[in-house]
Amino acid sequence: MSAPARPGPTALLATGCGTAVASVCALGLVQIQRSLAGPWAVAAVVAAGGACAVLARTFGRLNEVVPSGAGLPAYLSRAFGRRVGLRLALPYLFLMIALAGIETRIVGTLLGAVLGVPAWTCGLAFLLVTWGVCRLGVRPGYRAQVVATAALMVLLAGAALLALAGALRDGRATDLVRVAPPPLAVFLAAVGQAFFLFMGFELVTSHVEVAGSARPVGVALRRSVVVLTGFYGLLVAGFAAMPAVTSPASWLTPQVTMAAATGGALGVAAVTVACLLASYTSFNGALLALSRLVQVLSSQGVFPRGLARVDPQRLVPARALDALTVLAAVAAVLLSGHAATLVVLGAAAGAATLMYASALWARERAPFREAGRSRLARLVSATLAAALLLLGSGAVIEAALTVSSRAAAASGGTHGR
Amino acid sequence: MSDLQAALSVFLDAYLARPELVSRQRGWSPTIALRATDTPSVVTVRFVDGRPQVERVEESPTLVVSSDERMLCDVLRLVRSPNEPYLFGELTVQGREADFVRLDYIATELCPS
Repeated sequence: MSAPARPGPTALLATGCGTAVASVCALGLVQIQRSLAGPWAVAAVVAAGGACAVLARTFGRLNEVVPSGAGLPAYLSRAFGRRVGLRLALPYLFLMIALAGIETRIVGTLLGAVLGVPAWTCGLAFLLVTWGVCRLGVRPGYRAQVVATAALMVLLAGAALLALAGALRDGRATDLVRVAPPPLAVFLAAVGQAFFLFMGFELVTSHVEVAGSARPVGVALRRSVVVLTGFYGLLVAGFAAMPAVTSPASWLTPQVTMAAATGGALGVAAVTVACLLASYTSFNGALLALSRLVQVLSSQGVFPRGLARVDPQRLVPARALDALTVLAAVAAVLLSGHAATLVVLGAAAGAATLMYASALWARERAPFREAGRSRLARLVSATLAAALLLLGSGAVIEAALTVSSRAAAASGGTHGR
Repeated sequence: MSDLQAALSVFLDAYLARPELVSRQRGWSPTIALRATDTPSVVTVRFVDGRPQVERVEESPTLVVSSDERMLCDVLRLVRSPNEPYLFGELTVQGREADFVRLDYIATELCPS
């Protein structure tokens, strides 16, 4: 009998980055860059990355003690009891479905622009193809995920570097750097919003079952935060340095606008293909992982028990897959406007910080806390958890304020954010 | 015979009593270890083409299922679905995803909760 194939460190690192880097992240970065000028937007991303570095160690510890693919529900249930654990984990599931709806619309917009057909038909086709492939039990291998993630990150980083080089060449660099500090509340709200960008990096813990031990997963967690912080920092600087364009692509796809401004038609084509590949691999993986979670939750009566049914041939939770696909389609239809999208991004940041704060609290309880854990370390964890909740609340409030000011401006008001 | 070994026999008897379920697992040949986390108990069973083999297993497992002994016995005696302890982090698995998805399917079929 051959030994089971185990993902290597590169594959785990790409998986950690790949689940966090979705096309929707570009929207989040643009939102941060609009509320903060260039270097402060970078600082907000780096601050969130610093907190995530602590969280990476926290998730590493949770995964070491409970090496379970069930992830968050398993950790939180072990620390706080089953009922509380489930209640803390469920908002994350619902937000993932809402984000899947937005991602579907982004993919529809990208494909529609290339094929010259309405975006909604392309979004629907993308959903149906992904659902069909998942129903067959086919999922992209680690190698495909590495290629898709690396291609997207390299291309977008390249576009950001070109935008920065263009700003230097045009003599705009000084204007970009020399900006007054923002109000503290605005900066902190942007830091809270930046947690949304990292949302999903911790899902690499679900690969502990095939990785053989928690150690390589812990390494991937820490490295993915470093890579993501550098990538997002560069990208938000690139968005700030981007020259004004006369005909921007859809507001849903600012990465295409940047590719057009820096790389022309070739850049647009490359970024579009990379976005589609990355969206497909992450969507496919997320749909299969979430459907399994829904199946298990349904078998426990949290959702209708019919959703627990597994296809005996393909061994996939067929009904849960069907339900998630329908819900993603409904989310794509309902979240069609800019305002609704911003609300979801704010709520996603809030859900991410709630989940991360819960993980920090769980880490300080049995069975995760070591016998010799110092009081200082516990105090640091508690402080960071409280700070995360405040930052997340700030991100939600900021999103709500942005939406209301847009609504006021649209209805004839004079102020806008 | 240990409690864990006896519980495994209950599970395998229930499985073999479902010929249609056994025939659906044709081509599946893992070596599965069930390891208690609170006692030294461990039992190993090898499947060849979906059928469990009764002889002593020498090779290293391709799938390891770990939990406390009582939980493992409950799952093997079909008192409890494996989904419940898995979701709440009380039962963990290590090995190929395809293997533990299939094992979960078999256990759930035998013990619909």
